[in-house]
Amino acid sequence: MYTLGIDIGSTTSKCVILKDGKDIVATSLIIGGMGTPGPTDALTQVFEKSGGLTKDDMAMTVATGYGRTRYEGADLDMSELSCHAMGAHHVFPTVRTIIDIGGQDAKLISLDERGRMKNFLMNDKCAAGTGRFLDVMANILQLDVNDLGAVAAQADNPASISSTCTVFAESEVISQLANGVTTPNLVAGICASVSSRVAALAKRIGPTPDICMSGGVAQNDGVRSAMEKALDTKILVSPMAQLFGALGAAYYAFEKAPK
Amino acid sequence: MTVNELLARFHEVAGNPKAQFDAYLKAGKKVILVAPVYTPEELVHAMGYVPMGAWGGDVELNEAKKYCPAFICSILQSLLELGLKGTYEGASAIIIPNLCDSLRGFGQNWKYAIPSIPFIPMTYPQHRKPEFGAAFTKAGYERVIADLEKVAGEKFDLAKLENSIKVYNAHNAAMRNLAVVLADHAEILPSQRSDIFKSATFMLKEEHTALVNELIEALNAQEAKSDRIRIMTTGILADAPGLTSILDEMNMHIVADDIAAESRQYRTDAPAEFCAMDSLVKKFQNMDNCSVLYDFYKKRVDYIIEQMKEYDAKGLLIILTKFCDPEEFDYPLIKKACEAAGIPTATIEVDRQMVNYEQARTAIETFRDLLA
Repeated sequence: MYTLGIDIGSTTSKCVILKDGKDIVATSLIIGGMGTPGPTDALTQVFEKSGGLTKDDMAMTVATGYGRTRYEGADLDMSELSCHAMGAHHVFPTVRTIIDIGGQDAKLISLDERGRMKNFLMNDKCAAGTGRFLDVMANILQLDVNDLGAVAAQADNPASISSTCTVFAESEVISQLANGVTTPNLVAGICASVSSRVAALAKRIGPTPDICMSGGVAQNDGVRSAMEKALDTKILVSPMAQLFGALGAAYYAFEKAPK
Repeated sequence: MTVNELLARFHEVAGNPKAQFDAYLKAGKKVILVAPVYTPEELVHAMGYVPMGAWGGDVELNEAKKYCPAFICSILQSLLELGLKGTYEGASAIIIPNLCDSLRGFGQNWKYAIPSIPFIPMTYPQHRKPEFGAAFTKAGYERVIADLEKVAGEKFDLAKLENSIKVYNAHNAAMRNLAVVLADHAEILPSQRSDIFKSATFMLKEEHTALVNELIEALNAQEAKSDRIRIMTTGILADAPGLTSILDEMNMHIVADDIAAESRQYRTDAPAEFCAMDSLVKKFQNMDNCSVLYDFYKKRVDYIIEQMKEYDAKGLLIILTKFCDPEEFDYPLIKKACEAAGIPTATIEVDRQMVNYEQARTAIETFRDLLA
């Protein structure tokens, strides 16, 4: 039995096809989220990579992410927190806390030993502490957001970004550039700024090890290492981190599909 | 009337308070606006006026921003906005109490911005329990009476206040009974429950009591459903259709609430054993378990946990009104107590000018998954 999970986020669209609720047959990740051709392209790509499967072969499709209710091809939609919890638990069975930093929000999920969600927190309606903050800062520094981690690793004296508000932080970064602060030091400060806001949120939920990161920002080593420092613990990251939502949706689809 | 007919009537009033306002004016009645919270409506009622709740509305804030800083309660900002837009023209006065920091300076804004609707202050004491606090409350009521006599022309009569207190106590009892009955009727959706409570602020209490009692009778005669997820809500306000429709959709059943605009209004009666003015003072003295009522021991936290247990609520939905300091101060205590009691919580932030509830939807949907 094949099941499909599709995670339509604010900036990317992801798909995972599972076989019998165990084996990952194909995945796709496309830049472009809700309101763009991203979801359609992600579906096209995942089927292309699946070795000839089509939508008709899917016993059930579950949609998640901010675009979940707008996607008409789903049999069911579920919140991305539930799906990230499910996906992360299957990749890291020992995980008790998930830090999910997506394009427009940050979420903290606490799991019990059986991988069931115990508690969750979401950030305020604010871009600080989200992928959007990194996008804005990368844009000012004329860097690719994917390179921020590598640039931050070159820092010798990370700058301090004190503004909570993304717009004010943008002005602060420009002022610091004008004052001669190096790009690596600024990028390290930016990564630390995101991680300190999310770490504060994590402390509200009580971060219990093992802790893992999910979402696109999990790939940013600068944020991850700053987060490890802020929480004083090691953080697990999987190459699948950005696909946890879609993976969890595919597992839910398997659970709920008529057997 | 049938249950559906009654619910339609509550929906009609809750969804169009202006029609209700205009109907009272057309009938020759004088309308006094009563801003939140715990405004002594009985005094207004005793003088033959219609006390109409003024909790603002879901409007875009433009003009009000001239008078308010950005980080202030949107309930008050929207109240001012509606006043500036002329929505309340025809009202004889507005009574504004002082039970939070935002309210304290709000009356001055109103006086300057909307001179056509006179502002009457109701100044409550911080310490309401001691006798000096009671004397202060009484002086506040006397000021309201004097101002009402001045702006609307009628003379205050203590005997009429006795009758009004009975009317309000009867309404409180009906609303408390209703809340208990609704806890057993999952077929009454959160949006419908909200309509019943919201309509209470726009109707004369004797009219609302009659409808509520009729609804209770009709509900008792029908088979109760229990197929939805039992939750309790807490916060200042939870009446936005964009929010309540998500609760409907997510299969929620509100079995108890600690919402300032809902059940908190009806917990305390004016006791019968005192003369009318003292009875009203005692009512305020006896009130508890609310973020805007000073309580060193924060008994409200235990009260919420007790209510959760009594009504077998599976989770607590904390609906934080943005920039509401009193609620934000209580929030960590409530959250901590729920964690200690093993009660799942979800927190959403709302304000009066929200048009998009997608983040709230995600939180409520996840909360549903968590409770299921």
